Amino acid sequence: MTSLSRRAFVTAATASLLAGCGGEAPHRTATAAPRKQSASPSTASATSATPTALGRSVPVRLRIPAIGVDTPLLALGLAADGTVQVPPITAHDRAGWYRYSPTPGQVGPSVILGHVTVGTYGDGVFRRLAELRRGEEVVTRLENGTSAVFTVGEVRTVAKAEFPTKDVYGNVDRPELRLITCGGPRSGHGYLDNVIVFAALTGTTS
Amino acid sequence: MRPMRRTVLSATALACTAVLGGTVPAFADGTAPSPVPTVVASAAPSAVPSEEPSAVPSAAPTRVATPAPARQRGQVAAVPAGAPDTGVTESSSGSGSEGALVGGGAAAVALAAGAVLFTVRRRATGE
Repeated sequence: MTSLSRRAFVTAATASLLAGCGGEAPHRTATAAPRKQSASPSTASATSATPTALGRSVPVRLRIPAIGVDTPLLALGLAADGTVQVPPITAHDRAGWYRYSPTPGQVGPSVILGHVTVGTYGDGVFRRLAELRRGEEVVTRLENGTSAVFTVGEVRTVAKAEFPTKDVYGNVDRPELRLITCGGPRSGHGYLDNVIVFAALTGTTS
Repeated sequence: MRPMRRTVLSATALACTAVLGGTVPAFADGTAPSPVPTVVASAAPSAVPSEEPSAVPSAAPTRVATPAPARQRGQVAAVPAGAPDTGVTESSSGSGSEGALVGGGAAAVALAAGAVLFTVRRRATGE
């Protein structure tokens, strides 16, 4: 009889302990979730007067007169490893618009990528991108016939290991454009740096 | 009779403690979350809407207002990982042959190791 009561006591004690432990776990997850949301809003830079933003229309062509670029645009998505897709390595390679970014002229950072070199084929479409200077124009023609004209504000060469994801893909409060290629010292497989052109919408033509 | 009563009493007492043990965390459940969500809920809505609505309507005219709600989290719907690989050097096109060389070397080493194992075993069993 006493052994039975001991067993009952032990089971009751363990049950109460288990109940006590199980109750706490959900609180941690519940408190952790809202913190992320509160940290998510990103910064928006101050702006001067900008032309009216355009509606959504896929870009079909890119012209950069200062460095002799005139290329049709592909639509690029995400690769299986989560990195951005890049245009195929071909003889006359084209630049590509990242289709998860706003279309040029929409509020936000529209992202266009191109190769600096294409292996044995030689120079890529963005071979001279690093030569762009502040104030030079970049024109994107959209599917609906309008053109968004951007003016270069900054050309940055950054180490790939320190790619400024927030500066490139983060929210902005005006229509902006990012042109991305590789640059800097060559490694065995490619390049160690990225060249990023930051431009803002300064005009539209229809 | 006495031992029986004792056991019955002790069993009921244990049952009560077990129930209480179960209810105490339940009370903790009931009381603890209430301060947490109220604090977060009051902080989160005030911070989020004040920034986003002020930025979107001021800069974006009516045309942009339609795609904006679909992307409340970010103007770029899916932010890629890492840096884009937008340059292929001439030397990197030869990396295939280098890889073949490395692979061939590894295969040769594995073959040699296998042969050694085989001969050692054969000798051991043969004798």
